[in-house]
Order: sequence, then C-alpha cells, then structure tokens
Amino acid sequence: MDFYQFFNAVEQSGIAIWVRESLLALPVINALHVVGLALVFGTIFIVDLRLIGIPTATRPFTKVAGELLHWTWVGFGIALITGLLMFAANATTFYVNTQFQLKMVALLFAGLNMAVFEMVTVRSVARWDNERWTPPSARFAGFASILLWVTVIVLGRWIGYTKGFNFDAPVDIDLDNLFGAVRVLEITRIG
Amino acid sequence: MREFANWLASTDLSQIIVTNLWMIPAIQSVHIVAIGVLVGSLFMLDMRILGVLSGDQPISAVNRRFGPWIWGAIAVLLVSGLLLIVGEPARELLSFSFWAKMVMLLIGIAIVIAFQIHLRANQAQWEASFVAAPTTKALAIISIFIWVAIIFLGRFIAWDAQIWGSLSPQA
Repeated sequence: MDFYQFFNAVEQSGIAIWVRESLLALPVINALHVVGLALVFGTIFIVDLRLIGIPTATRPFTKVAGELLHWTWVGFGIALITGLLMFAANATTFYVNTQFQLKMVALLFAGLNMAVFEMVTVRSVARWDNERWTPPSARFAGFASILLWVTVIVLGRWIGYTKGFNFDAPVDIDLDNLFGAVRVLEITRIG
Repeated sequence: MREFANWLASTDLSQIIVTNLWMIPAIQSVHIVAIGVLVGSLFMLDMRILGVLSGDQPISAVNRRFGPWIWGAIAVLLVSGLLLIVGEPARELLSFSFWAKMVMLLIGIAIVIAFQIHLRANQAQWEASFVAAPTTKALAIISIFIWVAIIFLGRFIAWDAQIWGSLSPQA
C-alpha cells in the first residue's frame, strides 16, 4: 500500500466523511484547534521567557515549568486531536501540501528541542534554578522554542491559503464579493 | 454598513493589503501569536485568582508580572485586527460572527479593566491576599469562557453564512 492509498483510505473513513460533510464540525474543530494552540504557545512562551531571563526571574525555573508544562500538554492534546480530524477530512490534499509538510518538520524540531532540553540541559538545573541568567544551552532552548512555535503557527495559517490559489496568481479579485472571487479561483485551479 | 465596507475596500491601504496576497495570512499569523500570548498571560492571572496556579505568590504580584503582557497582546490584537478589517471589509463587517465577537470583546476587556481598578483601589489588601473573594473567582471563570468564545467567533467569521444561516448578512 503506497502513501496515496493509505491517505485515501483515511479520507474515506466514516469520521473523515463526517467532518467533511457536517456543516458545523469543521468550524468547531478549527476553533478548538486555535484554543489548543493558544494554550500551547501561551504557556510555553512563559516558560521560554523564564529560560531567557525575561522578565527578572522572580520564581525558580522548576516551579514555573512544573506548573505550566501540564497545561502546555493539555493544549497540545486538544490541538493534536483536532489537527488529526482536520487532516483526516482532506488527507490526500494535506500530505502533498508543502506548507503542511514544512509545518510537520517544524513541529518535529520543536519536539527535538524540548527532548534535548529535558534530557540533557535540565540536568544541571539545581545550579541555575534561582538565577535570572541561565546557561547558554538553556537560553538557546528558550529562543529556539519561541522561534519554532511561531513558525508552526505561521505555516499552519499559510496552509489555509494554499489550497485555492498561490501568491503569484494574477489578482483580479472583486472586492465587493471576496468570497465569491476566491471560490471562482478555487474552481478554476482545482476543477 | 455595505456602503462603508465598499468605501473602506476602495481606500489605498485596503488595496495594498488585499493585492499583496501574503499580507492577510501574515497579519493573521501575528494575530494568532498575540492570541497565544494573551491566552497565556490571562490564563496565569485567572488561574491565580482561582488558586490553581502560583499559589506561592500574592495576586498583586502575578498581576504585576502578567498585566503588561495582557495589555501588550490586546494592543497588538487591536492593530492587527484593524488591518484585517481594512484589508477585507466585506468579510469582517458583513458577518454575524464578527459583531458577536466585538460584543464579547467589550465584555472581556471590561472584566480585565474592572479587575485592575479593583486591584488598585485595594492595593494593601491584595498585596497580602492569597485567597480571592468568591465573586472575583466567578469573574475569573466567566473571563476564561468569554475569551474562548471570542476565539470561536473569530474563527467562525470564515464560515459565517454556513454557521448562522439567516442571521448572517451573507446568507
């Protein structure tokens, strides 16, 4: 079974058809995806800033991370489930979409960055737990995390604009009826 | 509103945003990153009021730490949101979700302002306080629901007629 057959089977599954055909499923799932990613980025951003030393560290790193990372995982769980549902609904379109592929690569790097931090860098935490200035490796992990998650968000938003038209397409959009215009472009390009 | 949207769409700024096709997704990305920062900081404050997080710090300290981030994120959201309205006036102004979102936004921001005024008026008490009053806790819970609703309504703008049927001006 090749990739296409596999993703086609995913796309034809009952749940994928339900997401595609229900009027409310996709908007609600999409909105929950944003709630999930906001919780992921909002909480991990605070931990990353603590690593970088902004603002003046008033609490031990382990306390900040210990409290917040649970919530990061809650947000990630929401984003993952809703993301899988959206992927399933249009699996064959997504798996060949460049922005989607890049987003998965960025996610992978965000995961690797976290794994290296959790397995190597954090071992010396006793020495800098109460310090504002953490070791370079910890500060690097903080910067990399912010950069990678912003990249994930940008690529995720970009996916929504790659299905109908590309950025080099000629522009003659009817401003009074933007939706109609975009839809016409989609039909001419896909259909 | 339709005339206003048409006029807005004919302005130079709107033309610049809409003809450079990368601008709308770029501004939306800034908007979403700012949503993340706002959700994170507001979540910290609300969860502290509820006594779930940062139990070792007084409420005023948590407010001092995250207040500037809350207002900074709201400022970025207002500017990027305004640019999105100017760029796609018909999409935003002629949608039920958008106006419902604006109503929720006023309530959400009013709660943040009310809390900070209350905090300022009772500085000494909050400095020492580790437990919030039940009404304050209730407001924190309402605040969380309102901001989640704002995110939902913001996303619903993209499917306005499909979701709201005859309530949507696009239907």
